[in-house]
Order: sequence, then structure tokens, then C-alpha cells
Amino acid sequence: MIKLRKVNKTYPGIVPLHVLKNIDLDIARGELVAIMGASGSGKSTLLNILGILDNYDSGDYHLDGVLVKDLNENRAAELRNRMIGFVFQSFNLIGYKNALENVALPLFYQGVSRRKRNAMAMEQLERMGLADRAHHLPGEMSGGQKQRVAIARALVTHPSIILADEPTGALDSHTSQEVMQVFRDLNAEGMTTVIVTHDPGVGAATNRIIRISDGMITNSDEKNA
Amino acid sequence: MLDLVREIRQTLRNNRTRTVLTGLSVAWGIFMLIILLGVSRGVYNSFESNTANHKDRITVWGGYTSMPFKGYKDGRSIDLSDDDVHKVKNENRHSVERVIAYSSNDTSSIIGPKGHISGGFNAVYPEAMNSDEVKILHGRFINVPDMKEQRKVMVLHARNARLMFGDEVSALGKTVSSMGIAWTVVGIYDHRWRSQTYVPYSTLKGITGNGNEAYELEVTVRNISTLEEGEQAEKEIRATLARSHSFNPHDNNAVWIWNAFTQNITARRGLGYLDLAVWLIGLFTLLTGIVGVSNIMFVSVRERTHEIGIRRALGAKPRSILGQVVAESVAITSLFGYIGLVAGMVVLQIIDMLIGNSNDFKDPTVDVAMALKVTLALVVAGTMAGLFPAIKATKVKPVEALRDE
Repeated sequence: MIKLRKVNKTYPGIVPLHVLKNIDLDIARGELVAIMGASGSGKSTLLNILGILDNYDSGDYHLDGVLVKDLNENRAAELRNRMIGFVFQSFNLIGYKNALENVALPLFYQGVSRRKRNAMAMEQLERMGLADRAHHLPGEMSGGQKQRVAIARALVTHPSIILADEPTGALDSHTSQEVMQVFRDLNAEGMTTVIVTHDPGVGAATNRIIRISDGMITNSDEKNA
Repeated sequence: MLDLVREIRQTLRNNRTRTVLTGLSVAWGIFMLIILLGVSRGVYNSFESNTANHKDRITVWGGYTSMPFKGYKDGRSIDLSDDDVHKVKNENRHSVERVIAYSSNDTSSIIGPKGHISGGFNAVYPEAMNSDEVKILHGRFINVPDMKEQRKVMVLHARNARLMFGDEVSALGKTVSSMGIAWTVVGIYDHRWRSQTYVPYSTLKGITGNGNEAYELEVTVRNISTLEEGEQAEKEIRATLARSHSFNPHDNNAVWIWNAFTQNITARRGLGYLDLAVWLIGLFTLLTGIVGVSNIMFVSVRERTHEIGIRRALGAKPRSILGQVVAESVAITSLFGYIGLVAGMVVLQIIDMLIGNSNDFKDPTVDVAMALKVTLALVVAGTMAGLFPAIKATKVKPVEALRDE
């Protein structure tokens, strides 16, 4: 599903910062993977590249068989929209839109009609057990509910992978466990999921941990689920 | 499209105070533009209606020569004559439609059964009814048989008729006395500011016996449309009179000429500049509002950097971000511009009701074509105001979504 070959990324500056060094990475369809590393290790940059939010300098990145390289803004937006479902640490719901509208937003950018996208969004909210919250604003929901709305939003376009950036970072431990259970359930249904975290508890709840340090992958543990 | 409208409504409602405050500056700009346009239209309309019956007129009075000519010294008095009526007409057939003469008796009083008036009377041709815009209330104006038979008839202003007879209708057919002669009242008229008494031109001539002297010639021109043609017609009339009275055709003091036709064109040109100035002032007032909108859109884009980042991460293309910001800007300017437009129209209607029928100000309204022009100006302005902030918005990287607020 994800295939990185010799990917390099340097941030230019007076002292250029070589943040990713010859990264090779394979993630198969249906995996639940954690990328872990200290801050400054390059894991955020790796996430940006995996999420097509940023470019890389050299190497190749194939996502679901598509070469993602040197894309223009429009093409990148299109690929993000169709292939990647994002889940963010701070939920990133739009405050003045209710849960249903937030979930439907990616479909708006696909040009799906309002009626159809609301139906599809409702379906995902039901899946997350939040049908009764559909018309609530994010401010009226708990952290766990907000994150489940965000997951519903990530799923609504039926993406190839879910990319989660510290999805439990803003949640208490009990809610964190609930959210991780959601990811595990989705994975059980076949959803390829990549979670970037520095929380060992979150890492432990995944099937594989990829450790990154100083711009290099140091360790890729296989474990039993 | 409907989705875009819904999006805009949501974001504008989300920032209500800011939107309203910004919008007010646009509304004010449009309001001022409409008021200015309406008022200038009022001045224009009054000019049109005041000159409607004069703009093809050239009026001539006798004067004094200022240049010696053919042995005559300067300072000689030139008196117009009845012969000039025919000469001016016959020698300038192309440009002259009609010539009539005026004369007057300025001193005689007119005595009726219940009162008398002073100030004399005007001796006129029947055509003076149109020239002077006299509105007959009862009876008739001076007519052709009056002229032919030198009838001693009078047309009185309504107020004077009331003064001398108590009421207007009973004056008709009655006689008044002036210059020791009895005159029959044949008509009562009304006018915004005229009040003189009219008698037939030929009658006064017959009574006073002062030959064929005419006090004033009024020439109605035809077949001319430009300033140059108007000046040419004036020059030809002067030349005809110069031949008739032996003065230098370049002597502008020998006869006094009031050329309403060329004055009308010049005044109209002036009004054109007034119109232009009004548009400029109005548009610049509007521009202040537009700059306000532009500023606020910059602020809005900056405030929503994170939101734009989220939208970009979720798959919004730069184009759709651009479109949304521009559309928001157009929505603010159009909505509030429309409010200003309607408010301006209402105020103009009120002004119209209060002073819309006075002499120097008439019907100060803005028509549909002008409203359309203003609307177009609004949409263009809104686009301009939104464009630069929108371009800035497209520069927001999707990575912004990952940044914590």
C-alpha cells in the first residue's frame, strides 16, 4: 500500500537540515502501524510526505500503486481527497459547522451533491455511534466524540489509508483507549491505518511499530496483534 | 452554486459584527453615490424642463454701435423695426423657422372696476403663448384676427384678474381702461413667474403710432444641432440686421443677441462634467468602503489560516479557496451595496416629495439603467476587494492543518 524508496528531505536554510535520510518503508494493505520517535526525529516530516502535504527531494513514494512525486497543488489536493483520511491531534473540525457538515466536507470538494453527501456522512456517523449528535456543533461535544467525528470525516471518502497524527494526544487515557479501539475495529474491517505517536500505549495497541530517529528508520518491529 | 451560497452564509454569520461593520462602509458609499446621482439628475431634469421651450430661440434687442461704419460714427442707437421681422426670416430661410416681435408699454396702469394694476403691458404676436409658456385658464390668448384688426383686447394674469374683478371668470368679456381706451378681457392665464398683461402687437402699434419700431425680435431656429451651427445662425442674423441698419457685422454691441440654443449646448456640456464629477466622487467614496472590505478579507484570511489549511488537507484545491474568498467579498459588497442602494432610493423619493417640483430641482430619481450600472460597479468592486486576500489565502499550505492553534 505504501512504498518508500530512498526518500530524502532537506529543509533549506543557512544550515540545511537533512531531516529524512534515505528512508525505505513498506506498509502492506490492511496493516495497523505506529510510527514512533522523539520530537525532532523526522516523524512529522515523514507524516507530511505520506499525507501528500509536503514534497520530498529525492526517491520515490508509491501510494496504492500511484507514484506521488512532484505533484502540482491541484493534483495533490485531489489525491489527498480521494486516497487519504486524516485524523489530527486537535481534531481540526470546523467550529461553525455541525458534525454532519464537518463529515461531509471532503465530499463537498469532490462535487458530490448535498443530499448524497449528507447521506454518506450520516452513514459514517452511525458507524461511529454518533447519529444522535449529527446536528451538534463541535463545541457541544466531548473530546472523544469530536475525535470520532473526525474519524468519520476521514472515512467518508473511502480512502486507501487512514493517517492519524497523535490522535489521542488531546484525550484522557480512558477516551484514548476508546479511540484506539475504534482504529483497531476499522483495521479489523481491513482499513490500512498509520498512526504517528510518541505514546508507547498507543504504539502497543498497533500491530507494528516503526521507530524513527534522527531521520532514519531504526527499527521495525513485527508483533502479534 | 447553492453550496457556495450556503458556505458564504455560514462564514458571514459566523463573523456577524465584523461583516456588518464592513458592510456599512460599502452601504454608505453606495448610498452617497445614489444620492449624488439622484440630485444631479434632479438638477439636470429641472434644466431640461426649464429650457424645453427655449432651446431653439435666439432673441434680439436693439443696442448701440461700438464701431464706426460707412461714415457713421460709433455710439449710434440701433432700433429694431417690423421690417426686420421679415428680413431676418426671408434672408435666412434655411435656419429660421419663425420670427415674432415684442413691444411693450411699461408705464400705463390698467384700471378695473375693483382695482387697478400698474406696470404696463406687453404687445405680442399670437405665438408668444408658446414662447412665454403661458397657460390659459379661461378664454383664449391673442389670436390672428386680433392682430389683423388691431382689436383692443387683453389677456390678464389670474391674480390681476382677481384684483380688478374679484374673481377670474367674471373678468372675461368685461372691459378695463388703459391709456384712456377701453380694452376687452378675452383670456385669463397662469404662469410660474410671469404676470404681465398681453395685448396684440399690432394694436399697440396702431395706438402709439411710433412707426414700425420693434422692441425685441424672437427668432425660432431650425435645422441646427451643433454649437457651430448655432453660432453660424446667430452670425447670419446679425449680418442681416447689419445690412438693414448699416452697422459693422462684427459689431457685437449694435444689436444684443441672446442665443439660447448655443447657451443650452454649453450648459448641457457643463452638466455633462457635473455628471462625471458626481460619478467620480461617488466611486471614490465607494472605494473607501471597498478598501475596508479588502482589509477585512485580509484579516479574515489570516484568522482562518488554520481552517483553510484543514480544508486544503481535506482536498480543497487552491481554485476553490480563491473562489470562496472572492465570493464572500462579492456577497458582502453586493448585499450591503444593495441596502445602500435601496436606502438611497428611499431618501431620493422623500427629497422628491418635499422639493421635487420646485423650479430648480425636479424629479431627482435614479432609473433602472443607472441602478444596473451601480450594481455592476458593486460586483466589480467586490471582486477587486476580494482578489488580493484570496490570492493570499491560496498560499496557505495544507501543512497548516497540523499546526496547533
